[in-house]
Amino acid sequence: MTIQSHITGGLIFGAAFTARLILFHFSNITETLGSRIEIVTPVTSFTRLTEGLYLFENGVPPYDGGAFHQAPLLLACFQLLGYLPVIFTKLTFILTDLILAYYLTDITRMKQQLYCHFPRLKVELKTKEIDPWIVAGLYLFNPFTIASCLSKSTIIFTNLSIILGTYYSLKNNKSYGMFWIAMASYLSFYPFMLVLPTILMLINDAESKGKNIKSEIFSCAGLYAGWLSGLLLLSYFLVGSWDFLEATYGVILLLPDLTPNVGLFWYFFIEMFDQFRSFFLVVFQIHAFIFMVPVSIKLRNHPLFSMFLLSGIMAIFKSYPSIGDASLYLAFFPIYSEIIKYMRYNFLTTNIFCYCSILSPIFYHLWIYAGSGNANFFYAITLVYTIGNIILLVDATYAMFRREFDIWNPDLRNYEIIQK
Amino acid sequence: MWQLGRLFLFFLVFIFIVLKFTVAENFHHNDNFKESLTIKPLSDGKLLTHFQFNVRISGIKEGKTFNHYKFFPRAIGQIIQSYNARELHLTFTQGRWNYEDWGYPIAPSAGTGVELWAWLWKDEKLDKNWKSLTNALAGLFCASLNFIDDTITVQPQLSFRPEGSYNATEISTHAELRYGSLPHENVCTENLTPWIKLLPCKSTSGIASLLNGHKLYDSNFHSMSIHVQPVCEDSRCLNKQLEIIQTVSAVVDPVRNSGKRDWSLNQIFGRQLSQACPLAEGSKLEVILPEDCDYKLSPDADDVTHMDGGTNIALYNLKNLQLTTDISMTWKEDIFEYNLNFEQPRIYAHRFFTGYGQERGGIKVNIFNKSPNISVPIIYYDVIPWFLKLYLHTLKVQINGKEVQDNPIKDLYYQPAVDRSRPNVIEAELLLPPNSITTLSINFDKVFLKYTEHPPDANRGFDIGSAVISSTGEIVGDFNYLYDVVTRNCSEDTPRAACYHYSIRVYTETLLVSLPTPDFSMPYNVITLTCTVIALFFGSMFNLLTRGFVALQPNEDNKNKEGKDAAK
Repeated sequence: MTIQSHITGGLIFGAAFTARLILFHFSNITETLGSRIEIVTPVTSFTRLTEGLYLFENGVPPYDGGAFHQAPLLLACFQLLGYLPVIFTKLTFILTDLILAYYLTDITRMKQQLYCHFPRLKVELKTKEIDPWIVAGLYLFNPFTIASCLSKSTIIFTNLSIILGTYYSLKNNKSYGMFWIAMASYLSFYPFMLVLPTILMLINDAESKGKNIKSEIFSCAGLYAGWLSGLLLLSYFLVGSWDFLEATYGVILLLPDLTPNVGLFWYFFIEMFDQFRSFFLVVFQIHAFIFMVPVSIKLRNHPLFSMFLLSGIMAIFKSYPSIGDASLYLAFFPIYSEIIKYMRYNFLTTNIFCYCSILSPIFYHLWIYAGSGNANFFYAITLVYTIGNIILLVDATYAMFRREFDIWNPDLRNYEIIQK
Repeated sequence: MWQLGRLFLFFLVFIFIVLKFTVAENFHHNDNFKESLTIKPLSDGKLLTHFQFNVRISGIKEGKTFNHYKFFPRAIGQIIQSYNARELHLTFTQGRWNYEDWGYPIAPSAGTGVELWAWLWKDEKLDKNWKSLTNALAGLFCASLNFIDDTITVQPQLSFRPEGSYNATEISTHAELRYGSLPHENVCTENLTPWIKLLPCKSTSGIASLLNGHKLYDSNFHSMSIHVQPVCEDSRCLNKQLEIIQTVSAVVDPVRNSGKRDWSLNQIFGRQLSQACPLAEGSKLEVILPEDCDYKLSPDADDVTHMDGGTNIALYNLKNLQLTTDISMTWKEDIFEYNLNFEQPRIYAHRFFTGYGQERGGIKVNIFNKSPNISVPIIYYDVIPWFLKLYLHTLKVQINGKEVQDNPIKDLYYQPAVDRSRPNVIEAELLLPPNSITTLSINFDKVFLKYTEHPPDANRGFDIGSAVISSTGEIVGDFNYLYDVVTRNCSEDTPRAACYHYSIRVYTETLLVSLPTPDFSMPYNVITLTCTVIALFFGSMFNLLTRGFVALQPNEDNKNKEGKDAAK
């Protein structure tokens, strides 16, 4: 790294920190963002965390009610933070975002090192790879990230855990890698599907080091199970009952709270006929998880890309998605900047994201406050947002495979390529 | 042969005598029935009419069944016994008792709708008993009481203590309280008819014959209730009686019709009082006289009692009354002028919603203490249905619009709601400073309901039952004068109006909240559209993951072309 690159990094992080600190200063901005249903969900809302904390501190069991659905460890952390001045809570969120971005640059560097022996396209030989600081900058200045951070949505801790899990897995640190993925699963359940790509990353060079792959996989899985049960036990001792399982994972899986969000679940299950509710619930949840196996198999040589793909699937098909989830997979995206030239719908997806960001608050206002629109307005926007994300993911996957095809078949460059 | 016949006759006579004695004994100290009608001109020209019917059955051992019914309604007796209830209070109300204009009601009123609370003896099927009790009462009174399910039922911890005689330790170890209210329930003649059928004289004679549905339901406020409770027979409470009190209160407005507050029984009920119920031990009509002296009561009262609080009560014994007498009261004035210095109660409250939009809001309660120099302890009780998600950390208390150091909340019991299974309950013990307005406020999120959970008239909104403010039982300052007239065991001579015992409860307004609604005509569209989007992703991903890329070879291309050319 040169001095110039350090300066770039310093500037980006400094600007991101200052911008967040200044915006945090305006309490009406943070309050507005903290109550937007696109940004916070029942399982990540800071208001609900405050309520849980208040009940916990006043001796009312926090999970014996319908308001609080977050992990007990968050309660403990924020109880400790409560003893410090208010500014520390804000700093926690800002620093979490910055640490996340910092590890993102490290992940980018490691990915570039891993791929430097990988064959490349002829046109790419002359161009430089993306600067890791730019990846961090794209994450830090993504409006979705900023909004999510300012809203004090606790999804940021899940995102940090996933990033740290990826980082340590790429570093081949088995126990830390599995710990952070276990932590992410503990916090919001869905990152469970990231276990497969993480294991793939961890056993990446096992063969070359002459280790037995099977035993490596088993030790990773064992570590994951161990960490996860450790976290659950710790939570049990913290709140003194297993009620939290139902109040956190039960709520994520069974969807009793139908507050709107940017996902597909809420309106579908508001409108669902009672006798089919459980059937579709099972179908939807299985649909979210089912991709973890084929994606990991097909992309076994690119586990970081399957990490991107699976976090994208998570952000679209989880039961309580928010734009904070999208900011995570969009953070992984620039690491694979070389595939962008193969993508066919960049203009369309960009437009869809802009369109949704502008229209979703308007349509929600028309439905809930003005009364001049109905639920279908907002539902339509969530559909468009989902389609935008789907197109982006499918297009990126297509580009990844297409580029690989060209790398392995440079002689077929002038032929028409079709899928068969 | 004739000897056998004589023996048989003798035997018959013997049986007859034995039977007569036992039955007579049973009748002798079993039931007694009293009826009374109280009329009170209110300070804003309206007229409160309050019917009360008491039946007492003596020789009751708690937990033991009884089978002899004389005046005590069998339907209620059987319900009480089969569901193991110790005390039962059921009130049907329409309209709001206007505390600021009317003072406190003579008998406990309730918030609009139906309110049911009961102390049930603890046993393994207590919750089943409560469920059955609501269902049985629903059938008996043609009301939707069966809708009081788990999402509505509450166990108040501080409010709604038993109203009959009770032993605190016995109650806390052997009985449990259940409370449920349906603020949306309409009250009408189909509820009144079964209620009247429980009376010993039905509506054929006595003051119950004045209960005319047309007039009763044409009033500003009406409340109909049944209270079943054990009372002590003697001062040491060795023997207990079971008492059923049936009341109907209605506030009618004579000023609306004539511009004057003059009234007569015929005019307000549209019926004549023919005679007292012959089964009643006492049958009285009382008029609580206003403080001004310009009125004329005709015919003259049998007796006028002076009460401690300065009120006079005119008493008519209906047993001695001439048939078809019309009692009336007239003032010497051409037109009624509204009194602006009306009788204000010491404690009253208003509750309202704050905020706008269908996403979130707040509840605010102003509790007024008008006593000039006495702090009053009260219990605030509020049940908020689960579809409003309360945030306890937003609970704020202000006194006269300012935050205070000395928190007036002395004790707080809070039960957070669970979606689709139980409501939020707030019970707070407050000490209201003298001459103050205490404001409680709390914020909530509105829950998005499934489309099947909305009622057919979804955009009308959901009713939220009244909050209840009750006295704590400690007799403090200004509540004193109310307690003075309240005595548990009334002697025969005291007017009935003076010995109604109840702990004071102030009910706030019921509220109407509108929740965000989905589009009810959309289920199929939503299912198809959402599934299409999911299929779009699944299909494309499946395609990418299972199919590889191949180059379209030029020779194949040419062959195809050649083939086509040949065909031409």
